Amino acid sequence: MTRTHTKILLSLGTALLGMSTAHAETVRIAVAHYSDQTLPYFEKMAKEFSKANPGITIKVEEVNWDSLQQKLQTDIVGGTNPDLSIVATRWLLDLVKDDVVEPLDARMTPSFKDKFIGAFINSGKVASKTYGLPISASARGLYYNKAMLEKAGYSNGPKTWDEVIAASKKIKATGAYGFGIQGKEIETEIYWFYSLWTNGGEVVDANGKAVFDSAAGIKAANIYKSLIDQGLTQPGVTSNSREDVQNLFKQGRLGMVITAPFLAKQIQKEKPGLQYGVTAIPQGSNAATFATTDSLILFKNSKVKTAAWQFSEFLFSKAARVAFTSGEGFLPTTKEEAADPAFNDAVTQSFISYLPTAKFAPVIAGWEDLSKIVANAMQAVYLGKSKPEDALKAAALQANKMLKK
Amino acid sequence: MPSKNKSKLKRSILCWLALSPLVIVILLPFAVMLLTAIKPADEVLSYPPRWLPSRIAWENFFVMWEETQFGTALKNSIVISTLSTVLAVGISIPAAYAMARFRFAGQAGYRRFLLVTQMLSPILLVLGLFRLAAAIPYGDGNLVDTHIGVIATYTALNTAFAVWMLQSYFATIPHDMEEAAWLEGCSKPRAVLKVFLPLAMPAMVVTGIFTFINAWNEFAVIYTLIRSAENKTVTVQIVDLVAGRYTVNWHHVMAAALLATLPVAVLFSWLQKYLVKGLSLGAVK
Amino acid sequence: MSKRPLAPWLLILPSFALALFIVSYPFFNIVWQSVHEVSRFGQVRDFSGVANFATIFADPVFMTTLWRTLVWTVCVVGGTVLVAVPASLILVQDFYGRGLARTITMLPWSISLTMTAIIWRWAFNDEFGLINLGLQQLGIINQPLHWLADPALAFPLEIMIGILVSVPFTVTIFLGGLSSVPTDIYEAARMEGANAWQQFRKLTLPLLRPFINIAIVLNVIYVFNSFPIIWVMTQGGPDNGTHILVTYLYELAFRLGRPGEAAAVSLVMLLMLLAFTGLYMRMQRGEHAE
Repeated sequence: MTRTHTKILLSLGTALLGMSTAHAETVRIAVAHYSDQTLPYFEKMAKEFSKANPGITIKVEEVNWDSLQQKLQTDIVGGTNPDLSIVATRWLLDLVKDDVVEPLDARMTPSFKDKFIGAFINSGKVASKTYGLPISASARGLYYNKAMLEKAGYSNGPKTWDEVIAASKKIKATGAYGFGIQGKEIETEIYWFYSLWTNGGEVVDANGKAVFDSAAGIKAANIYKSLIDQGLTQPGVTSNSREDVQNLFKQGRLGMVITAPFLAKQIQKEKPGLQYGVTAIPQGSNAATFATTDSLILFKNSKVKTAAWQFSEFLFSKAARVAFTSGEGFLPTTKEEAADPAFNDAVTQSFISYLPTAKFAPVIAGWEDLSKIVANAMQAVYLGKSKPEDALKAAALQANKMLKK
Repeated sequence: MPSKNKSKLKRSILCWLALSPLVIVILLPFAVMLLTAIKPADEVLSYPPRWLPSRIAWENFFVMWEETQFGTALKNSIVISTLSTVLAVGISIPAAYAMARFRFAGQAGYRRFLLVTQMLSPILLVLGLFRLAAAIPYGDGNLVDTHIGVIATYTALNTAFAVWMLQSYFATIPHDMEEAAWLEGCSKPRAVLKVFLPLAMPAMVVTGIFTFINAWNEFAVIYTLIRSAENKTVTVQIVDLVAGRYTVNWHHVMAAALLATLPVAVLFSWLQKYLVKGLSLGAVK
Repeated sequence: MSKRPLAPWLLILPSFALALFIVSYPFFNIVWQSVHEVSRFGQVRDFSGVANFATIFADPVFMTTLWRTLVWTVCVVGGTVLVAVPASLILVQDFYGRGLARTITMLPWSISLTMTAIIWRWAFNDEFGLINLGLQQLGIINQPLHWLADPALAFPLEIMIGILVSVPFTVTIFLGGLSSVPTDIYEAARMEGANAWQQFRKLTLPLLRPFINIAIVLNVIYVFNSFPIIWVMTQGGPDNGTHILVTYLYELAFRLGRPGEAAAVSLVMLLMLLAFTGLYMRMQRGEHAE
């Protein structure tokens, strides 16, 4: 080989090398643990994406929900945060205020924007700018034990709170527990909000002032209190987290529990013989349910934003979405998912049907504090330490002070 | 002599009787661990709950091993704990020697400083530690998610206890042996190495054991500093199986906890005689 | 014998330097955060002087938590010493199986505190826990008890677990102290007609005193800062009924998104501990060996 040939080959080789190394990027994504399926799913997606896009490696890190906020906080403070992360949508406000998230509107093509079901994409907006993509969505419904409720005379499940009380009395007579109330840990306050919202109450009004101590709120609290006092719930309410109440339902010892679609997946896996039904949350004066999303966000300080965005688009493609949502037992957030036969089962369709009356947690600063204040108040009520009216009034006062209203 | 044995027997019975409440309460969690770890999955949440499983579910251990990458976690725990111990004892020995053998101006201040390092709970320190680790370049990144970062932290936090323990032992070792060596013309450092340290061996072993166990069981610091699954220790993996999960597989959690505790418990039983002897004057004789 | 004044300083240098390096940055970080407004995700905003401190002192939850922390510390440390002294007196006797008894007493130390708390939480589970099962089988109760539902029951339970995990460490210290007591003095005392209680009060207790003191100081520091037991079992609830300062500050920092206030609480805790150790050491002056 002549010298010139060698030189040409060398420069070609370097050019090629340069091209490939120029595209060798790593995108780090933090995902919250939902179930045993979560990590395998994301790792599979990472592999598929890398195969289709050589030069981009995806590194997946799974974190428990309990510690996600702490991890993100330490990461952001230390400047070592990942490029993408799943976050609780309610954190978006603080993340935006701290200016650490990237606004996504500019990156979203019109067809991409159009994929999403309106309510869900709106939940990820702060000041009309989109910061979070709805990666998981859930609503709440009433699960009921078919055999127990049939015997109690409500073979399609109770429709109103009065029916819940009547059914629970009959179930109690057979030695089982009637209506499960969660009294501990995360979403304790939400469990009470089910009653508040279906009795015409609101947590905060249009001005962001706490109004859960209204007449509707007191009625809602009294319903739960009377259920507990009459022994129509599982005993020891304040030592039962959501998991505990769900376990009782799966054991067939509890007649009714309000929770999310993923319970159906758990029952399928752990107690496939259990006969259960799903109906809307019992009504007081109106129907309502709680809808919640978790958001996928892109951090502003990411050095590989384009690659990260490409992966996000991949995650919201139809195949990826169907696999994730059906695997975890969530609700579809994009229209093409919703049309997929995977979601034609009765349970998912029921939950989807409740969405029109869904309430999302308002994205206001101080929501976590408010939640804790309400949870504490309800715990005092459940323990009989405080009367519903007193507890709620005191809590609203405290909340408004915190909210500066 | 028969009567002596009889009285020892009587004393033994009395002692065990007096200790029994404590013994029962101590052994209870281990019983819970063991019984839950060997239960088949569907019997864990059975109602009414039963003490004994219908069969011994050995598969729990295998499944858990896979799920938590227990082998890797175990290796990490061993590496981190051992290195922290060696380092902590290593730098504490000269400090304890200085405190025990010399009188110098900074003595009280140093002792107070060490006590203060114990007062800052790791919960308070984690944010700052993380930032510190993130700011120190290492390899192609920083000290976050590395063994070194954790080892340095553990060493620093365990120093106070190690120095205190070693110092109390060292103070009980009389000067005569070293002084004799000095008088015979041996240089000071050599005297320390050849005469003092062998005598102090039980103390160093005991301190090492304590530091090892503290490092093995530590949670807050390593949880904050370590990210990737392949760097996690056994303690973190187990807590991860429980904290914030939508469903908890208690049989796996207990199986993991059992395996994590076993080596340390065995270490204890082997060393309990060292432990007490080492703490007393008797070691010197 | 040449006494180079430099030697002791060089000897303490490595440990001092490392400990200072690792601890000082986080410490200053806490001080810095406590006098600033800090966002949920740790961004330090405006200087706020003593605002964070004013907020926490005006917070009724903080004040009850402070009081409860004192109760927690006194009960756990006191209970530990009360259990550890007789236990070590027994364990220093010569009896069959003493080695086994000593090992068993140390066992709680072999599990991480977080794991211990997790196991006890599972044992006290209303429906599936083995404690309720055992008590029902023994006929002591006929309905499962709801151990963790009410702070009035949950907090004493947590105190007992706190005592249980502190006993091994304390017993170890006492055993060391007792082993160094020469047995002849007991012989002499017995010959002079002193009974067991008098021997204990006049001979054992004074010799044990320095060890009791160090056990109290160290235990107070560890127990005061002890996070896992209460957090794992009740998260400080229900209705903030089992919070102590360290769990409350964790909630402030990592759940409620108020790291500035959490930092202020940390400093208050540090000051409390410094005050305690300072006072206690002063009270005990005189029995330091060197």
